[in-house]
Amino acid sequence: MDGGKVSEKTANHKTVNRDNGGHNSQTPHSAGVSRRKLVKSALTLGISGAAGLTGLKAAAQPDRQPDPLITDIQDWNRYLGDGVDARPYGHPSPFEKNIVRRDVAWLTADSKSSVNFTPLHALDGIITPNGLCFERHHGGIAEIDPASHRLMINGLVDTPLVFTMEDILRFPRENRMYFLECAANTGMEWRGAQLNGCQYTHGMIHNVMYTGVPLKYLLAEAGVKTSGKWLLPEGADPSHMTRSIPLEKGLEDCLVAFKMNGEALRPEQGYPMRLVVPGWEGTMWVKWLRRIEVGDKPWHQREETSKYTDLLEDGTARRFTWEMDVKSVITNPSPQAPITHGRGQMVATGLAWSGHGKIKRVDVSVDGGRNWQHARLDGPSYSKSVHRFYYDFAWDGHPMMLQSRAIDEFGRVQPTKDQLRAARGVNSIYHNNSIQTWLVGKDGSIENVEVS
Amino acid sequence: MLKCLKTLSWLAVVLLLCQHAQLLADIEKGEQLYRQCQGCHSIGPDAPNGFGPQLNGVFERDAGSVAGYDYSPAFEKTVGQGLRWNNTSMDEFLEAPMDSIRGTRMAFPGVKNADDRKELIEYLKHIGLDGELPLTKKVKAIRKKAQAKISPLPAETLIPQHGVLHLGRAALDEEILAWDIDIRPDGAGLPEGSGSVVDGTELYDNACAACHGIFGEGSGRWPVLAGGQGTLTEERPEKTIGSYWPYLSTVFDYVRRAMPFGNARSLSDDDVYAITAYLLFLNDLVEEDFVLSSENFNSVRLPNEANFIADNRQQEMPAADAAEPCMSNCLPQPARVTQRARILDVTPDSNDDESDTVAIE
Ligand code: HEC
Ligand code: HEC
Repeated sequence: MDGGKVSEKTANHKTVNRDNGGHNSQTPHSAGVSRRKLVKSALTLGISGAAGLTGLKAAAQPDRQPDPLITDIQDWNRYLGDGVDARPYGHPSPFEKNIVRRDVAWLTADSKSSVNFTPLHALDGIITPNGLCFERHHGGIAEIDPASHRLMINGLVDTPLVFTMEDILRFPRENRMYFLECAANTGMEWRGAQLNGCQYTHGMIHNVMYTGVPLKYLLAEAGVKTSGKWLLPEGADPSHMTRSIPLEKGLEDCLVAFKMNGEALRPEQGYPMRLVVPGWEGTMWVKWLRRIEVGDKPWHQREETSKYTDLLEDGTARRFTWEMDVKSVITNPSPQAPITHGRGQMVATGLAWSGHGKIKRVDVSVDGGRNWQHARLDGPSYSKSVHRFYYDFAWDGHPMMLQSRAIDEFGRVQPTKDQLRAARGVNSIYHNNSIQTWLVGKDGSIENVEVS
Repeated sequence: MLKCLKTLSWLAVVLLLCQHAQLLADIEKGEQLYRQCQGCHSIGPDAPNGFGPQLNGVFERDAGSVAGYDYSPAFEKTVGQGLRWNNTSMDEFLEAPMDSIRGTRMAFPGVKNADDRKELIEYLKHIGLDGELPLTKKVKAIRKKAQAKISPLPAETLIPQHGVLHLGRAALDEEILAWDIDIRPDGAGLPEGSGSVVDGTELYDNACAACHGIFGEGSGRWPVLAGGQGTLTEERPEKTIGSYWPYLSTVFDYVRRAMPFGNARSLSDDDVYAITAYLLFLNDLVEEDFVLSSENFNSVRLPNEANFIADNRQQEMPAADAAEPCMSNCLPQPARVTQRARILDVTPDSNDDESDTVAIE
């Protein structure tokens, strides 16, 4: 563009007024001056030098055209959209169509006993939308008419009972927010950085507001005998999923939930009812819950012997590793959400959680763990629920090694990968709560790496 | 009538004008029966091939013709000899697939009941190449209407005596028996019965080997059930019933509750005893003439039982040392990258390279 055209434009009052880059020093009228002042004061207000530089560069460009998205009338400004009858159950904008659960086909033999992952890189706040909560099932999704569903309590109880859905809805209910993390979350990373995306490395977690009946009320109805020490919840799906749970946990904070985030559980999350076992590994949260047996010893079911036991380097294996330890990850930026705006002011955000309680603090490092800054926790802080953190900073455009480190209310600190491997070896599969590193390139592209 | 034919699809005509409710009922039952095939087959829009080929419009297409599916040589050969799908050939195949086509990969014992086969065939016949059952919605709506009965008010309004809130009703013994199938390491819950390695061999070959391999070695990515002894401390441990599982009760319990995949709860108690005995044999833990029964069950121990320990994570270094973590100059020199995910290139949407990856279980 030649300079003559530009000065012609600047001389035109209307054009200047519409131009976002109105702090052009050639602008003669007073509005331009006051805008210039604004920009200046923004600079002195502590927005970093790098951001200021980018701003100045743009201002110096002599050939800016007005943005047609502003100057032209767009279709959506003019023509009427869908009416209220078009979307009886709303869905996300078509521009969000890539934000979906994704699976990794090579992980398992069959999609009906498999897993997919929550797109953490694209979510914010602490609530996972129902349609994006990761799925893990062992025999496909059971589709159950609530009228055909029964919940039985049997074993060491005074009166073995059968409840219908209607019965369950007559018990006092509670609303509680909890994360559910699969014990195998981050399990593919034990031997080293493997999957390029926060969705894949950390996406076997979701955080939901449950409405349900405290399990202790249901147990009180049947009357647990004093010899009762363990519970065995069982699902109605073709895997008839079962896990042994100590009775104290059942009485402490477990729920039989039928709503998630206000609406009925999704079929893939156990509709019409599931067990909620706060802070403990996801496989215990039996979906399509149809039976709870009370016993005096654990049952050692397949999902607590063959699976969900943690093999150590010396060949021994830990069993009944229930609690999910303190953990965090930067969800954005991350490999699926690179930095596209260049250097300057930016937001790094992520999630932190602990199966033991609340998160006290999250630290962020941009140099691979050499130096740390406190991140800002924002939003509600509930026990055994995820916490959202933000780190607002100005990127200088150099490569970064982004890490986050969570500390829970009991002072438990998220370990490094090397610490965890030194303690357990690399064959544990489950309970990998180590610190994640994202390598940010000069171009803003991001890769899953390990550092030392 | 002609006009009707134009506006309504064929099935609707059958349904609404000819009142052919029997056919509808068969299709519906067939849809239910098809569930035992779902472990290996898929039906529906864009149904993928699984262990078996997808079955969309299987009657309309030629036998053995699904693109991208690798049929067994035996199946290809039969197709070469002129196999076409019609009521008769499908009925014969589904009754005993492995007798009908020797060497087929469809290791499925077959649907023995002739009515069941008829209903399954009716269902398969009506599935279009697009994987849709025509008019399913309408059919379902009509079925719903027919089923909608006004539930009578409970005759007795007596409040039950149990519990605190007096909700729910007492479970009947038959109901508990039907659902309470769990078994503990001490044998609690075991049903009466027995089964031999010899019987187990045939059962296993028919119902399990297709996925788990003739020797329990696992075909493709399906789980390995045998071998792996002594590998738990190696770089790539192989965790099987013989090498890893602590208790035999888990084998019996799990096979009875969840296997064969796609046809759970189809085995009799004696079948499960026999298959469990055979799995012990495959793991070199019993001899060929062994018979497992409710009597001798507790005398069998699995070799790895002693290697399971309680959760002691909280005594581990990082967790135990809850000191204030280091904030600055925590590494002696600047951090450097030691491993990159990009090198492996196993993330979906990138190339399909499965080499040297660790799968979750
Ligand atoms: C254990 C897995 C398995 C189960 C269960 C199974 N099949 Fe198959 N099926 C296969 C395999 C594998 C093939 C391919 C045969 C070959 O290549 O030898 C096949 C082939 C077929 C074919 C031929 C498809 C074609 O393209 O011509 C039909 C029809 C079929 N199966 C129907 C059924 C039905 C109906 C059921 C349930 C009653 C069933 N199968 C259960 C594995 C299975
Ligand atoms: C259609 C394929 C298929 C068939 C047929 C099948 N299985 Fe399986 N089997 C699976 C899958 C898939 C799993 C893993 C399920 C999961 O993890 O949820 C499995 C898991 C198992 C396990 C547990 C393995 C472990 O390491 O934890 C055992 C034991 C087992 N099957 C035994 C059997 C027996 C016995 C039969 C025959 C009666 C059988 N299976 C038939 C697919 C199959």
